[in-house]
Amino acid sequence: MSGSVSQSSRVILAVDDSASMRQMVRFTLESAGYRVVQAVDGVEALDYAKNSAVDLVLTDVNMPRMDGITLVRELRGLSTYKFTPMLVLTTESGQDTKQRGKQAGATGWIVKPFSPEQLLSTIARVL
Amino acid sequence: MDFQHLLPTPSESTDDTVMVRVSTWTPEQQIARLLSLCEAQMESALSESDVAVEALVKSFAGLIEAGQALGSLSEKTPDAGPTDLAAQLDALKKQTAAAIVAFQFYDKLTQRLGHVRYSLSALAMFVCDRTKTTEREQWKRMFATLRRLYRTEEERELFRMMVEGASAEEAREHIQQSTQTLRATSTGEIEIF
Repeated sequence: MSGSVSQSSRVILAVDDSASMRQMVRFTLESAGYRVVQAVDGVEALDYAKNSAVDLVLTDVNMPRMDGITLVRELRGLSTYKFTPMLVLTTESGQDTKQRGKQAGATGWIVKPFSPEQLLSTIARVL
Repeated sequence: MDFQHLLPTPSESTDDTVMVRVSTWTPEQQIARLLSLCEAQMESALSESDVAVEALVKSFAGLIEAGQALGSLSEKTPDAGPTDLAAQLDALKKQTAAAIVAFQFYDKLTQRLGHVRYSLSALAMFVCDRTKTTEREQWKRMFATLRRLYRTEEERELFRMMVEGASAEEAREHIQQSTQTLRATSTGEIEIF
């Protein structure tokens, strides 16, 4: 993990209803120089994204109020997020759910647990 | 709780298993199967967390050790070369990364136990309705509902085993085998669409 000047301006919206997972994600991304904004579910994330620009969305699937796949679909419907990378980070490994995510507009699918190195390389690849 | 006595005996597991299941189908057996499934899921999750927590403790111990080594290095050898510090910092990063992976198994554990809790609650409500418990189709729906609940491969595999008629003992053997091959630093798959 390493930081860089170019990454310091990138904002990543991390969405997960688990506080411990948000911490792990935040720790990993901030160590690489990204600025991390957190949301506890799809509703909070969508509200934030509508009012502030983010460079990448990293979301869990199963969350109260609004799940991650719905969040991706809602964001893709906004002109400002049509081409924004959106990665799903979840314990869900079933093909059906993965296909639903793909159809909703997700950029990629990461099954938990993630390794910091792999998460950072995946983000660098899609950003 | 041990519901083993309510499950089909090994002697019933013959080539005619399907026929035996049909002829011996009772609501009580379905209850026993579901409760055994829940018990097995919890046992599997707890076994997995033991491995993860152990790795977490080791990782943090390594972090502390590396931190102490860095401190000693800077105090005793203020003119230590950058190579020494770089090596220590690299070790620190590796230990931190391992801790991050291991810690996520706690999240997985709580998720799985949440599913089990839901299953038990759903079952408790179900068995209270005698108009449902006597109808096989209602039981099929109950199983289908619970199958959709499970998200991870481990959960799905255990569910499949138990629903297809595996005994609690067979499930335990499966859990032990899968736990032995588990690495607390194992990570999930990544797919870019």
